[in-house]
Formats: sequence, structure tokens, C-alpha cells
Amino acid sequence: MAQAPAAGAEQPDGGAARSPYAVELHGITKRFPGVVANKDIELAVRRGQVHAIVGENGAGKSTLMKTLYGEHRPDEGTILVDGRPVQFRSPADAIAAGIGMVHQHFMLADNFTVLENVVLGSEPRKGGRLDRDSARRRIEEISERYGLGLRPDDLVEDLGVGDRQRVEIAKVLYRNARILILDEPTAVLVPQEVDELFGNLAELKREGLTVIFISHKLDEVRKVADAITVIRRGTTVGEADPRTTTAKQLAEMMVGAELPTPELRSSTVRETPVLRLAGVTVASDAGRPLIDTVDLTVREGEVVGIAGVEGNGQAELVDAVMGLRSLAAGTVWLGDEDISGWATRARREAGVGFIPEDRHRQGMLLGAPLWENRILGHQTRPPAAKGPFIDRKGARADTERIMREYDVRAPGPDTLAVALSGGNQQKLIVGREMSATPRLLIAAHPTRGVDVGAQSVIWELLKDARGEGMGIVLVSADLDELIGLSDTLHVMFRGRLVATVDPRQVTPEELGGYMTGARTAAGAA
Amino acid sequence: MNRLRSTGLALLGPALAVLVALVISAVVIALIGENPLRALQVMTDLGDAPSQQVQSIVVILNRAVPLFLAGLAVSVAFRMGLFNIGVEGQYRIATVVAAAVGAAVALPGPLHVLLVIVVAMAVGALWAGIVGVLKVTRGVSEVISSIMLNFIALGLASYLLTGPFRGSPEGASIITTTPLPESAWLPGLNGVLGAFGLAEPRTELFGFLIVAVVVGIAIAVLIQRTRFGFDLRATGISASAATASGVDARRMVVTTMLLSGAVAGLIGLPDLLGDARAFGTEFTAGLGFLGIAVALLGRNNVLGIALAALLFAFLDRAALPLQFADIPASVVTIIQGTIVLAVVIANEIARRLALRSAERSGAEATGAPPDPGGSADPGGPGPGTGPDGGHRVRTGVTGSSEEARA
Repeated sequence: MAQAPAAGAEQPDGGAARSPYAVELHGITKRFPGVVANKDIELAVRRGQVHAIVGENGAGKSTLMKTLYGEHRPDEGTILVDGRPVQFRSPADAIAAGIGMVHQHFMLADNFTVLENVVLGSEPRKGGRLDRDSARRRIEEISERYGLGLRPDDLVEDLGVGDRQRVEIAKVLYRNARILILDEPTAVLVPQEVDELFGNLAELKREGLTVIFISHKLDEVRKVADAITVIRRGTTVGEADPRTTTAKQLAEMMVGAELPTPELRSSTVRETPVLRLAGVTVASDAGRPLIDTVDLTVREGEVVGIAGVEGNGQAELVDAVMGLRSLAAGTVWLGDEDISGWATRARREAGVGFIPEDRHRQGMLLGAPLWENRILGHQTRPPAAKGPFIDRKGARADTERIMREYDVRAPGPDTLAVALSGGNQQKLIVGREMSATPRLLIAAHPTRGVDVGAQSVIWELLKDARGEGMGIVLVSADLDELIGLSDTLHVMFRGRLVATVDPRQVTPEELGGYMTGARTAAGAA
Repeated sequence: MNRLRSTGLALLGPALAVLVALVISAVVIALIGENPLRALQVMTDLGDAPSQQVQSIVVILNRAVPLFLAGLAVSVAFRMGLFNIGVEGQYRIATVVAAAVGAAVALPGPLHVLLVIVVAMAVGALWAGIVGVLKVTRGVSEVISSIMLNFIALGLASYLLTGPFRGSPEGASIITTTPLPESAWLPGLNGVLGAFGLAEPRTELFGFLIVAVVVGIAIAVLIQRTRFGFDLRATGISASAATASGVDARRMVVTTMLLSGAVAGLIGLPDLLGDARAFGTEFTAGLGFLGIAVALLGRNNVLGIALAALLFAFLDRAALPLQFADIPASVVTIIQGTIVLAVVIANEIARRLALRSAERSGAEATGAPPDPGGSADPGGPGPGTGPDGGHRVRTGVTGSSEEARA
């Protein structure tokens, strides 16, 4: 193959490329009992650059970053910070050496102010009390200098996702970090917020700070990074220049194979509706509507996408369809039947498949073997059940079939689910739900936290199922996934479907506008 | 191999706990100025003559049967993540009602026994059911309500015993219900012992032993093999996942409490039907609380509970000989207490080890090539060769795909 991306891209030759290295990792190997998580890692990050590390989930990115952040020690290899070899015994050592980590999941106390969250754990004291004045001065100075736009006295619970992330960044900067590790920082942001984040990163760069940016969103990586290192199967497979490498080439470096795209174009939509919601309203315990008079129709062979910033009612909509929340008003029809009052089990038996948003909370029994996870949600039907009894043999055999057909990599059906990587767990769930050949599939974030390989497998499965006439409700935060897979795309904002757009024509920016409420005009319904 | 290892880990916790408890108890015995080794010798000495030994074993078994049932009752709820602390009250109230009903009716032999059993189970279930209903309708923690109901049950049982169900004459020092008629007596199993060529013991081996074994098997099958049991266990592992899978969590809470209470209702029957014939102020107390310890030690596994019940019964029997040897019988209580404490810690350690070993085996598989046929084989490479083999294959794959691209 002539277009081998690794060969063409050595080190970017930009102006900053001449700056000295802020972080160097040489020959880092980290073994866990029975597995080598990182092997011969070579990474060199120049000062004042945004250096992206890309790789599939499970490729070893997090292990590597934990090594760099002092959460565990490498078995082999050396770490150099500003040219000096260092040994970290704990994150405290890493922080002292000027390395800070912004975690993917925010670690903020909602009922504290920005100031309190930032100083938490390293509070300036005056006479045994929190010295708010000096803390405020420092935070305002940091906010000013890096353009974070934080107001120290705001309550965190009143902040949006983007602001919360900036609080996290401020926390790290407050502790004098010169090297910032950002773990999947864009996973929770809408496009506009991503642009803001990239603006902040530019500020950090300008001030001479170094950013290590972990991601698998390749377009963003190409936009923001000065250099890219690709990790595959625990080792660094090469560097790429973001200006000359396409997202597709990067992705192929990550998986070591060519990739399919999520696009589907030939419509398979039939006339018969499988799911109809009419005026569905779900109220919170306090009586506030979480979803407000939602009308929705899903026809056979149709993928109906629901876009929206998380927390705008998508989860409640899924719960309402699955029977996990009772309706305050409205009706849910499955085919011709009014299922509004049905229990979850009856709905599942009637042919509703469910890929839950949080597979650990709703989709799996982590402490149980895979074959018991095969039974979960299908307790009443073969091959999982035989009369009132569990069909152990049948469930085991069918688990092996799912593992084979859906490429679930595990030692066997008796392995505990907790031992599988996220992608393999998700493939098991998808395989399990598909095996019951449902009429309607509720897929909430079906590719969240899974690697590129599993993602493309899941996309293909959804497309096949759609082709066979399954109706699919796709709730996702991944706009490319929504645009690529949906036949009809609705935008949910504050519990209402505020816009219906044509996925063939809409841009992520337009969608983002609807999702944040900036745009209000409804598209062609 | 894997199953062997997981079984080993499952046994490791309790075994370690018992060992640690023995060591701590030895230290305590030494501190009060007695010889721990002599205490141990007294405890393990079942007697010299064969008849004495058989007698000791019968005493242990008779004590183990109610302990086993108590452990079972606790574990049924616990498998679903419910702490039924109310087993004590459930069996007390069930026994007093069953004793009164049994004494009040006249039925032919087996039917009479069956009636007493059914009444006891029903009363136990109802009493535990209150806990379940309170939980699903009012959100009351089952720990709180079942403890509270213990006090109410003990008070109610005393009232029933001294009031409407009183059978013993006025002024008697021990108040009891009217004794069961002979048709409600469950014959002992000493004949079976004789058939095995064992010496005739002084005490009758409870016929209820057979009922307990049957109940144990039934519970094991119910929990491990049936759809209901799967729902129950799934709810115990993850209530949210079970709900999403279609389990009606509220109904499960009530059903499970009913089941737990029904088993709890049986606890007093070995003695009632086999020996005491009546419920009274002297009726064995505290079995419900011991059941929590037994369930804990047995790791909520039916076989484990049986072993734990035997161990506790063995320790209880030793109380008397220890007193004869001028060693305080509270040594037994100390050992039981330390076992419970140690088992909580040991279970946690064993759980973490099991989790780590599971994660390790998963990591080995992820490192393996995408060859589901091979990796789906449960009899794959043993753990000894796994890491090396997996590793070698992995580097091979990386190399080959790089070659393919070059």
C-alpha cells in the first residue's frame, strides 16, 4: 500500500517543533499479571505544543497516561520531564513535577462554588481558615491569563458542561501544572463548546504550556494537534503530521486495517409504523416535565435519530419507551397495540430490544458470567429459558454463538463480564439484543466508549437490522453517527423535540445550534 | 481449571476466617490464664465410647438443622441484596402459632405434621411480607423494619403464649402451649443410625433433618436453576440492570421476603416436632441472629451454609464439656464472634482476588488474536501457559499487519 501514513509523517516541522521536549517516554513497558498493557512506548512531546495521542479503546492510552501521571510505575523504561529523568511514586509527585490531569468525567462538587472546587485539596490558609481573597485573586489571574472566563463565586451546579471543563482545567493550572493531560475532553461537548475548548488550548499553548490530548475523534485531533502519536495494541505505531494526514489514514493506523464509514444512503423505510408516541409526557418527582408532549413515529426499516445535549430528556424518553418510567400523559403504541401500561418485560417479549445508555448500570451483570448476561433481558424466552427453568446449556451454546458471530473476545461463556473490555461488552449486548430479532430496537449511545473496530461492527449490525425491517431509535451524542445512520433526525432540547432535520443535508454546526437552543426554527417536519 | 481455581478462592475466605478466629480465640484463652491447646482438645473430644461419640454427633446435627434453616432464610433474601434481620422474630411468631394450631386440631399422622409445617411457613412468610410491603410502598429500609418487627414479634409471641395459647397450668414455672398430640410428632432417625450399625444414642436425631435437606436442595435449585432464581440473583447483583431487563423489582422484593420468611418459619420446627412438642418460655432463642452469621460464613451458598451450620453446631456442643473442664463456655461465643468478624474481612479479600483473577483471564483473551473459534473454547490453554502464549500471538499479529501495510 503506497499511502502508508506512518511512513510519510515523521515530526511536524512547524515553528514550535524546534522547541525542547517537555516530556519524553522511552521504552515504557507496563505489565499486568498475564498481559502487557504497554510495550516499548516511545513518545516525545515538545514544549508549547498540543500533542494528541490517538488509539482504540483498550489500546493502552489510559495505562500510558496513568504511568505519566504517577498512578502506577512502569516496569521498564524512562520518563523525562524537561530533559530530567523522573520517577513518580504517586500523582502527587507528578503534580509537583508540573503535570496535571483533566479527567474525562468531571470531578467537581456541584454544591460548591468554582473557587471552592478549584482550591479543594490545596487550600490557601490564613489563620487556619480558607483564605478566600488570595484564592480568588489567583483564580481570576489564571482565568484572565488563559481566557477561561470563570467567575469564582458561581455555583458549579449552575454551570454548563463547557464551563465545568474549564473549572477542571483551572484546577490543574492552580496547582502550577506546565503539562496538561486531557483525557477525551471533547466527549461531552457540542461542536460550539469544542471550538471554545480549542480556543482555550491555543491560549495555553501561547503561554508556553504543553497539552497532551487523548482522543479518538480524529477530525478534532487533526484540527487542534501539532503532533499526533498513534497507539495500537499497547505500543506506539508511529507519529503523524495532522496537516498532511487524513482522518481516514489516522483511523487505519489505529486499527491497522481499512475502515467502513457509518453512512447509509439507500432508504429502506417502509410504511408500517412500529413505534408511535403521541403526546408523551414524563414528569419528575417534583412534577416538572422531563419530556414534554413528544410525538414520534418510527417505521419499519427506519432509523430515527435523537440528537441533543445530554440531560435534555433523551434518557427519560428511552425509559418511557422501555416502560422504566411511567407516563404523566400520552400514549405509546408498538405496532397496533397500546403498550403504555405494559411492564418492561411484556414490552421486551413483544419485540423491543434495548441497548442501554450505561451498559454497566443497565445492560450487564458485571459480576456474573457471560452466559448469564446472555439471559439478562431474555429470561422468559428460549434459548435462555425452558419452562420455569433457566436453560443453562442453551444459554451457554448461544453465548458461544454470539461470541463467534459478533466477535466478542473472551476466553469463554464462563468468563465474568467484568473481565471484558468495553467494546467486547457492548458487542455482547448488541449480539444479545439482535439475537431475539426484535421489531423495535432502542439504541442509546450504542458505540459510546467502544473502540473504532467495535464501532464499525456495531454500525454494520444496525444497518443490517434496518435493512431487514427493524425500526431503530438511535439516541447518541456522536453527531457523525447520528447523521450517518439516521433516516430521520430529531433534536431534543429541554424535553421537547424542537427540530426535525434531514440528515443528508444538516451540518454538525447546524445541529449544535438546535441542541443548545441557539437556533429555534423547526426544519421540514 | 478455572472453575477449580474459583472454587478454591470461594473456600479460601471462610477457611482463612476460621483459622484467624481460632488464633485470636487461642490468644484470648491464653490471656484468661487457660491453656488454649487443652481447650481445643476438650472441644474436639467427642467422647471415648462409640455410643458417646454417636451421641455427640446427634447433638451437633440436631443443633445444625435449625441453624441451617436460619442461614438459608437469611441467604435467600441476601442473594437479592435484602438484609432480612428479622428472621429471629419470624421464626418465634411462626413457631408459637404453629404449636397452637397443631395442638388445637386432630388429624391423621402425616397430615397433622404437614399442617404444622404449612402454618409455620405461612406465618413466617406473612411476618416477613410486612417488611417487603413496607419497603415497596413506603420505602422503609428492610433492615430497620425487620429489626423493629423482631421486637413486636417477641412481644406478640409472649402475649400469645401467656394469653390465648397458654397450655400449661396456672402457676407453673415454665409457661408452654398445649403439647402437640402424638399424631403431630415427627419420628426421629435413630432407627436409621442403627441400620448403619451405629450405637444407639440417648437423644433422638431430629426427623426434620430430612425436611431441611429437601428444603436446602429446593432452595438451591430455585435460586440457581429457575427463571425466578435468575431474576432474584440478577436483582442482587445489579438492581438497575435487572429492572431494565424486565424484572419487576417491587414484586421481587415482596416475593423474596415471603420466601425468606417461609423458610424462617421452619426454624423452630425441628425442636417443636421432634423434641419439645410445645412452644414455651424456654424454647431455643437466638437462632435467627445466628442464622445471619451462618449465612455470612457460608457465603450464601446452600452447601456452604450447611458446612457453616455444622461448624457452629460443633462449637455450641463444646460449651458443656468446656465448663466441665473449668474453662469458661463463653470461649465458644468468642470463637463464633471472631469467625463472623474475620469472615467479613476474608470474604472481601477473597472477592477482590476473584475479581483480579477474572480480570486477568479477560486481559489474556483480549490480547489473543481475533479468532473467536479458538478463544470461544472453554477448555483453552490453562492459566500457566496462557499469558506467554497470548503474548506471543499478539506480537505476531502486530508484526503481520504492519507487513501487510508496508
